[in-house]
Parts: sequence; structure tokens; C-alpha cells
Amino acid sequence: MATRLTIDPVTRIEGHLRVDVVVDGGQVTDSRVSCTMWRGIETILRGRDPREAWVFAQRFCGVCTTVHAMASVRAVEDALEMPIPPNAQYIRNLILIAHALHDHIVHFYQLSALDWIDVTTIPKADPAKATALGESLSEWRGNSRPEMRKVQDKVKALLTSGQLGIFQNGYWGHPAMHLEPEANLLLLAHYLQALDFQREVNKVVAILGAKTPHIQNLAVGGVMNAINLDNDATINMDRLWAVKGHFDAVVDFIHQVYLPDACALAGLYPDWFRYGAGVRNYLAVPDLPADGASTTYDLPGGTIFDGDLNTVHPINSPRDAWWRDGVTEDLTHAWYEGGVQQPWKGETIPAYTEFQDDGKYSWVKAPRFQGRPMQVGPVANVLVGYAQAHPLTRKWTDLALARVSAAAGRPVTVDDLQSTMGRYLARAIRSAMLIELASRHWELLANGIGHGDVATYVPPTFPKGTVEGVGFHEAPRGTLSHWVVVENGILRNYQAVVPTTWNASPRDSYGVAGPYEASLLGNPVADTDKPLEVLRTVHSFDPCMACACHVLDTTGRTVATVKVL
Amino acid sequence: MRRLPTTPVAVVGLGNVLMGDDAFGPTVIALLRAGWEFPAAVELVDGGTPGLHILAAVHGRKALVIVDTVAGPGAPGDVHCYRRDDLRALPILSRTSPHDPAVLEALALGDLTGEGPDDVLVVGVVPASLAMETTLSGPVRAACPAAAALVVAELAWLGVPARRRREPTEPEAWWLAPAEERP
Repeated sequence: MATRLTIDPVTRIEGHLRVDVVVDGGQVTDSRVSCTMWRGIETILRGRDPREAWVFAQRFCGVCTTVHAMASVRAVEDALEMPIPPNAQYIRNLILIAHALHDHIVHFYQLSALDWIDVTTIPKADPAKATALGESLSEWRGNSRPEMRKVQDKVKALLTSGQLGIFQNGYWGHPAMHLEPEANLLLLAHYLQALDFQREVNKVVAILGAKTPHIQNLAVGGVMNAINLDNDATINMDRLWAVKGHFDAVVDFIHQVYLPDACALAGLYPDWFRYGAGVRNYLAVPDLPADGASTTYDLPGGTIFDGDLNTVHPINSPRDAWWRDGVTEDLTHAWYEGGVQQPWKGETIPAYTEFQDDGKYSWVKAPRFQGRPMQVGPVANVLVGYAQAHPLTRKWTDLALARVSAAAGRPVTVDDLQSTMGRYLARAIRSAMLIELASRHWELLANGIGHGDVATYVPPTFPKGTVEGVGFHEAPRGTLSHWVVVENGILRNYQAVVPTTWNASPRDSYGVAGPYEASLLGNPVADTDKPLEVLRTVHSFDPCMACACHVLDTTGRTVATVKVL
Repeated sequence: MRRLPTTPVAVVGLGNVLMGDDAFGPTVIALLRAGWEFPAAVELVDGGTPGLHILAAVHGRKALVIVDTVAGPGAPGDVHCYRRDDLRALPILSRTSPHDPAVLEALALGDLTGEGPDDVLVVGVVPASLAMETTLSGPVRAACPAAAALVVAELAWLGVPARRRREPTEPEAWWLAPAEERP
């Protein structure tokens, strides 16, 4: 008998992700993913000054503030075909790297780890064995026996207090959790240590962006950071060294903790390379421009179709016709008027119906590339780089796969990354790449300043008539693009095609499912009352969804409803 | 290594300024900045809708004041206050999106690491409308001065009093600026 399971955190306030799955014979046989709030925030930008758009765009999402700000200024600069000073590019890149590292660390530990580790087994762990396990993974200083004992004592105290605190919502004792108590203890110790390192790297955003969570230093034409080595209030050597210090402080954590943990977890849960592939078309855009005019990038972009790395087609710039002409949004199953639209001509006119399985059922539009759904995110980023033999991608991917293979006791290949576990692993691989690139872009900035280049901004000039531009950014959740139409210096249209609309896309006019929906098919579900496995796959995408509003729920709520069909 | 100082008291306004009454938190922060001067021990934060990224504002503080909209009892514009123990009694539930509001999680994590604030006050308003617009509803707008006064009273109680500005400035609520030539 089939069971329909609706995972829908019911609150008085809408705006979240709803997942409907049909479970039959212990696995998911159908799925629909819906966003329950209208996200047409773009309409608020029409008629505004393009130079101030980024300030509003930054508020599209409270977690991804920086990335929307960046895509917005890039879009206007693209419309004006204007290069920016190299220093501005490097300062932006350092902010983007710090933001991404912060986001990836929080995702793996605070937002996902408790889907895989059962904290209720930790009191049974032998701290000495946990230390030995840690020492087998790396030389990390935080794996000592006193550290393991300290963490174990904290967990014991919490569990015996009867108030589970942060652990109150876990699916403890679930059959899909099978790590040894020592592995659970080690990973939880790292979960707690990660809190310090996510904070450390976020300080880079605060120093260069002037404020966090909403940075203040951007401008169409560069950045507003003044550089003067003799002035305390500007970027000077003290500040530059502080930035370097914060990056250096997280290098060991990424190399010795995050990446080894992600590899170990993958090796201990190798089945999860079999689930969750979903849509095997991938899209990533190039990022970290290496010069002021963005002629080259340190991270490559491109597309892959049907899971075949040989089909890789590069995307080299926002002006690349392959990219620019490829993107459309399909509104057939979304609560908007219209059919298939190119983003510059995109409209966001609401047309709400009830949730209709075969009709409209989501506020998310369905972005398509050459008519096909695409998966975006770190796994797309890594696959597209790997397929193009990008040395940095190859280096860290091969290293990670070798570690996973050793832990799993069987070969795990780059093709295995097309899975739920692959998304967790790719995020860690990407973090190792990014921390290396942080050094490079810091040196580019410091060298330029050392040679007397202190330019950070050129004022934009808006032409008479209409110009179109697209700004993209390979954000922590994948390809983000803002599409602008500027007419006589005023925004005439603005569309944001964001990573979560690519991934959480509803079906299109051909009935083809989006990545979340497709990834859930075949996913195991051992217990429909505790849909842990569904959450593992959903969380692997790191959905950006409930961030539109912030309402503290003081009423309590239920998370899932189950209906037998 | 040079570290940024962490100020011991944070006042965090939460909410999205583009979503109607959800701008309550940031609006109260703007009112406070315009009307009062704060000692160096107090940091005012326009926190937006940060999900679990709110950790940065919560950990390492001795005291925390949050201004937010609440799905609580009563009519739009009603202001409710919550203390740490009130919040501890609320359930933390499994999330589909990592971006759900995470005040409770951040505080619970602080309990575990010992880095959470000792004193917590949430000043919450019941919203009338969370539609996409850059204005507050009448009842919620009317509640802003009272909420600001509650924050000021809390800071005095914490021993870090704010001083009323002799010449108040205009609240800097940039999102209220009218768009030119709106279609």
C-alpha cells in the first residue's frame, strides 16, 4: 500500500519548502516539491536606480545576502560593459570565498551532521577509541582524549537532564543511522569545534564588507573600500594581515577536519552514492575573476548533460552565447501567468491556485537550460571543473576520492559524485579549493597595493536607450544570475534566477521534474513516521527557501503529515 | 593574530525589510540609532533573516536582546516579551530548509558550548501583514516606539544604559525611500 507523506512545517506564516512524497515498498515512487510563498521580490526593483539595486537585492535572502549583492552589481556592470579596478575584483573575491567557506562549514556540521550521527549513542563511546579514530584521519590537534572526554561529558549531561536542547529534533535510534559510538563522538566534537571556525572566517566578510550580515562596501563600478597604507580607517597592512590571519586560522580545519570528515562519512555510508542523483544535467558558471575586466576566471564554468562528463561545454563569461541564450524559465506548473520566458523578458505576475498535483503547485519557477532541467551546486561546480581537467579541481577531487575509496573498501569514482552523498562531498572538495584560492587572491591584492595601485572604483556612466546585462556568481548553493534591463539609467526589468529555483524547480511544460523531485525517486524510507532519508537528500542540496521572512514561532507546530493512499 | 572585539551586549533586529511587517526588527533598530547613543559595550545589529547564521550575533555575548515578529497570541501590534526560559520551553523541530529561523537553535547551541548569553530578552510584535511591500501596517508601526523603549529599559537593567540624543536624527530606513518613476 502506498503512503503519501507531506513534509510541511506548518506555521501561521507561509514561505517554506514543502515536500510531498509517495512511499511504496520502502521507497519513494513519486514526489513534488513546492515553495509556499511568492518570491517575486524582483518587482520591487523596477523603476529604481540600478546603482542602488544591490542594496535591495541583498535582502532577497537573509542567508545569501552577499551573493545577491554581488550578482546585482555584476549584472549592471555587464549591461554597461564596464571593467572594474583589479583591487575591487580581488576584494570582492575574498569576500565571496569567506562567505562560501562559512556557509559550507555550517552546512556540513550544524545543518546536516545530525542527519547522520546518532548523539544518543555517544555516552557508550570509548574516548580513547574516538581519539584513535581521529588520529587515523588526520593530525588535527582537536582529537585529543581530554577533548573527546569533555564533549562526551557535555552530551551525557544534556541527555540525563531530560532537556535535549539542540538535540531534541533528531531521529535518534533510526535504523538508517549506523555509525559506531566513537565515530559519532568524534564527529560531534568537530561539530562543536566548527562553531569557532565558521565564526573565524566570517570575520573576513566583516572586515572587508564593513558589516555583516549585510555588507556595505559594494558599488556598481567596484568597491567603496579606500586603500591607504597610512590611514587607520581604510584598508591598510594591519587590515590585510587580519584578513590573512582569519583565512590561515581555518586552513587546518578544512584540510584536517572538514574534508577528512566528509570523506570518512562518505566511506561509512557508501550506499548514499546510490541514491539521490536525480537530474544528471549540470550547470556551473565561472567565478573568481582574475583581472578587472573578468577575461579569465580561477574557477571554470560549463554544462554537462545526461551525467556524461564527455559532454562538457565550457561557459567562459557572462557574454558567452551558450550561457546567455540557454536560460529560460517555464511557468507551466508555477503560480504565475505565462509560459516559457527569457529572463530579460520575464514577468512575475501571481496566479495562485490550490496545490494541484497535475496543475500549478509551487511559487518557484522552473528554470531550464536549452529546455532541460539542470542541477546546480557544488557537485555541478566540481564535475564541470573535473571534466575540463581544471588542475585545482582534479587535485582535490582525486585526493578526496582516494580517501573515500580507502574508507569504503571499494573504488569510488568521480561518477559517484552524482548522488546525495556526492553533494556533501563536493562541498568539502570545493572548500579545499577555495581556501587555496583565498591565498592567491590575497596575494594578488597585496601585490597590487604594494606596487602603488590603490584604485577601487570607477564611476558608471549610463547610456541613453536600453541596455541588458546579466551578472552571475557561483554561490554556495550553485549558479545564481541576476538579469537586468536598464532604460535611460532606470531599471526597466529585473529577474533573479537563483540556485534553489534551478534545484527546487517544479515540473515543466513537458512534465519533466526538477532536481529535488527527481532526486527523491528511489530514495529509501524505512519508517514513514520518521522520514530521515528524505531529509538527507533534501538537505544535501542545502535549500534556500524559508529565508524570506523571520517570524519567531511561539506556538509550536508539527512537521509532517502522513496519509495512506 | 588580530581579533575583532566582540561586544558583550547585542541588540539584534530580525526580519526582512522587503516583507511588510517583517521589517519591525530592523525598523526598531533604526529608531534606536536615531534617538539614542549607546555605550561601547552594546552593538546594534540589523540582522535580516539569517537562518542559523544568526550564530555570529548570539555566541560570545553576555546578554542578547532580539526584536522580531512573533507568531504569538493576540492582535496585530501586540507586543510580547520572552525570556530565556520561555524560549527553552518551545519545541525545536526538524527543518526541511536549513534557512528556517534559528533563534532557538542558536540559543540551544550556546547552552551546549557555554558560549550563549546569560540574559535574553525577545521583544516580539504580532504582525498584520507579511506581504511583499516596504511599509509597516498601522498597528505595527504604532508598536515601534514601545518596543524601542523596552530595549532601552533592558539595557539600563543590564547596566549598559543608552542615552537619549539631545538632537535626534532621522531614522535611517533606506528601504522606505520611494522609487523614481515606478511603472
